[in-house]
Amino acid sequence: MTWPERHLRLAQAILYLGILAAWEILPRAGLVPRLFVPPLSEALGALVADHREYLGSLPTTFGEIAVSYLIVCGGGILAGQLVGSSGTAQRMLLPVLRSAYAVPLVVLYPVMMVWFGLGSQSKIAFASIYAFIPTMLTAVAGVGALSPALAETARAFGATRVQQILYVALPASLPSIVAALRLGGALVIVGVIVAQMLGAAEGLGFLITRHRTLLNSPGVYAGIVLVLLITGLHEILLRGLERKVAAYRQGA
Amino acid sequence: MRRHERLIVAAAVLGLFALWEALVRMGRLDASLAPAPSTVVESLVRLAGRPEVLASLGVTAWEVLAAFLVALPVGLLLGFLLAEVPVLGALFRPLVNFLFGVPKSIFLPVFILVFGVSIPQKIAFGVFTTVFVLIMGGIAAVQSVPRELITVSRVYGATRGQIIREIYLPAMAPILLESARLGMVFNITAVLLCEIYGARDGIGYRIAAWGENLQMPQLYAALAIVAAAAVAVNEALRAVETRLGAWRQRT
Amino acid sequence: MTRALVAICGVSQRFGAGESGVTALDSISLEIPDAQFVAVVGPSGCGKSTLLSLVAGLRLPSSGTVLCDGEPITAPMPRKVGMIFQEANLLPWLSAVDNVAFPLKLRRVAKAERLAAARRMLELTGLAGFEDRLPHQLSGGMKQRVAIARGLVQNPAVLLMDEPFASLDEQTRMVLGDELLRIWSETRKTVLFVTHSLNEAVYLADRVVVLSARPGRVVDDVLVDLPRPRSFAMAASERFGALKDRIWQHIKSAERA
Repeated sequence: MTWPERHLRLAQAILYLGILAAWEILPRAGLVPRLFVPPLSEALGALVADHREYLGSLPTTFGEIAVSYLIVCGGGILAGQLVGSSGTAQRMLLPVLRSAYAVPLVVLYPVMMVWFGLGSQSKIAFASIYAFIPTMLTAVAGVGALSPALAETARAFGATRVQQILYVALPASLPSIVAALRLGGALVIVGVIVAQMLGAAEGLGFLITRHRTLLNSPGVYAGIVLVLLITGLHEILLRGLERKVAAYRQGA
Repeated sequence: MRRHERLIVAAAVLGLFALWEALVRMGRLDASLAPAPSTVVESLVRLAGRPEVLASLGVTAWEVLAAFLVALPVGLLLGFLLAEVPVLGALFRPLVNFLFGVPKSIFLPVFILVFGVSIPQKIAFGVFTTVFVLIMGGIAAVQSVPRELITVSRVYGATRGQIIREIYLPAMAPILLESARLGMVFNITAVLLCEIYGARDGIGYRIAAWGENLQMPQLYAALAIVAAAAVAVNEALRAVETRLGAWRQRT
Repeated sequence: MTRALVAICGVSQRFGAGESGVTALDSISLEIPDAQFVAVVGPSGCGKSTLLSLVAGLRLPSSGTVLCDGEPITAPMPRKVGMIFQEANLLPWLSAVDNVAFPLKLRRVAKAERLAAARRMLELTGLAGFEDRLPHQLSGGMKQRVAIARGLVQNPAVLLMDEPFASLDEQTRMVLGDELLRIWSETRKTVLFVTHSLNEAVYLADRVVVLSARPGRVVDDVLVDLPRPRSFAMAASERFGALKDRIWQHIKSAERA
């Protein structure tokens, strides 16, 4: 037996407010060590107080994210479209890629550091590799979902190869391209931040690590909140884009 | 893949390694950045004989296993609860979905704050990363059980226990295995991330150390070992998944 | 007079309570003698499937009782009542023979015995040679044959069938209809057959019970006096048409209401 809608919404609201309240009250009451979890207000306070430091880390971070985004989404999606349009390529590459997905790519970061040092290049290289295969696999799946009936109809109307791609294949793959962007973007953001945490001279991830070594919990949490805001914003933007694109698509 | 395509892929992979070897020997590729495969293989053989290295591998394997053994029952049970009890599901699903979408790696510093740099910390972080995959898997598995089959069983007089054994378990098996496999992938990545980030032992720690000391052959050898182990585990789980899921046909 | 095998006595079924409640069935009384083939027809939502689920013991009536062989039905009685659904609902991970043997497995019958019984049933339903196929390797019609075999494997006295041919194409429906009559004449079960198709009802049954729109009441009880074995030619006869028309009048006025 499930509760009526009104009760559920109320219960959910109470639950979530309760969690936020606990985050504030339990550390203050000493029930949770402040080192482990500082009060919510302190974490947010650190974010505000040191906002120049945090904001200052963003240009580098965003820059690294942006370049990786281009590589992954440009290259990954393009590669996905190419592989997806060839049955042979799919049969040969997909099993290899799916097995490769299991490799913990995080171990490549030390190699990136040796090759590129602590600067932005290592972050971009790592994030690009980290996000490439999943993005490509998503794009391939999207091409596969393309209805062959659509392509045949286009050919029946005398469309050239180029026209087929522009007017049929591309609009039809748009939703899956956006889905790939959404996944790739999320992975790129995480990849850059993690790389910065592991070894960097600047950036948001580097900040978080530094605060951790200084045992500055509010600072660590402030950084995490900022990362969550960035990923959340990205998610909202891309979900909106996904909805728009799906709306243009008429059925099938 | 057809047989000849398999050969082509194998040949291509071998060809890449041969090219790599050739480029290093010709001096076109810097050996201090990417040592020749032959050097890496030599190093691998030597490492396999060193007890400290084997011990580190053991530590990592232990952390991965422990984290998985904790996350598996906890995650699946929570998933079952959320799927079977409508009130719990309606209350907590949005929260779980939100947390599932949040990148767990960024919470690593918090775990170090709480546990310090230690093996329990790595296991705890592994559990944290993996448990959400298993919760989602548990939910999906329960929801995949066709309700009509339960009705059929009731008509034929099945007891509660029989319904669980004869209907639920076989129906859920493929999805449960798939999420276990995915969970393991996340788990291994999480544990290695911990070790590279800050640890005193484990193969990830050694990889980071070799990187810092520019000991490239050892670094690459360790990468090869880790990659091979991860892929092996994944393929083994996939084989079981395929076997138990053969009855699922996608039209 | 043969004693009724299945007796439905003043049964009503309500869902929900108070204002928003729905009365699916209203004071239904029916007596079905042994070995009779009864079809139940009526407009959509008239409670035909609900009636079947009551006889199957899947739910209790809000008022009234359902008796089988003199005993009230309060829970599923798998050894007396078998049921076949619109979708075959086979366990996809079991082969055909294991699916048919499933009810016996639930009763903890020994493996050799239950597999032998299952094989006999598969032979009866014309599926000899397909024992080891998985459901996804079977056509829709074959899956229903397996479902029918499963319904028969415990040799129940009563067979309940809830629009079993509705999701099959017309030709398969016709073939399976004849198959069903053959099996019925060999095994002499009491059959309660719910269907939307008037053709099917008149062709297959000894008797057609017509329900009204919700709340479902018995508005007619038509004896089909066509000779057996039924043949395709009979379906074109005047008598057939007259029977169909009589039933159709009830449904037509109900649908319009």
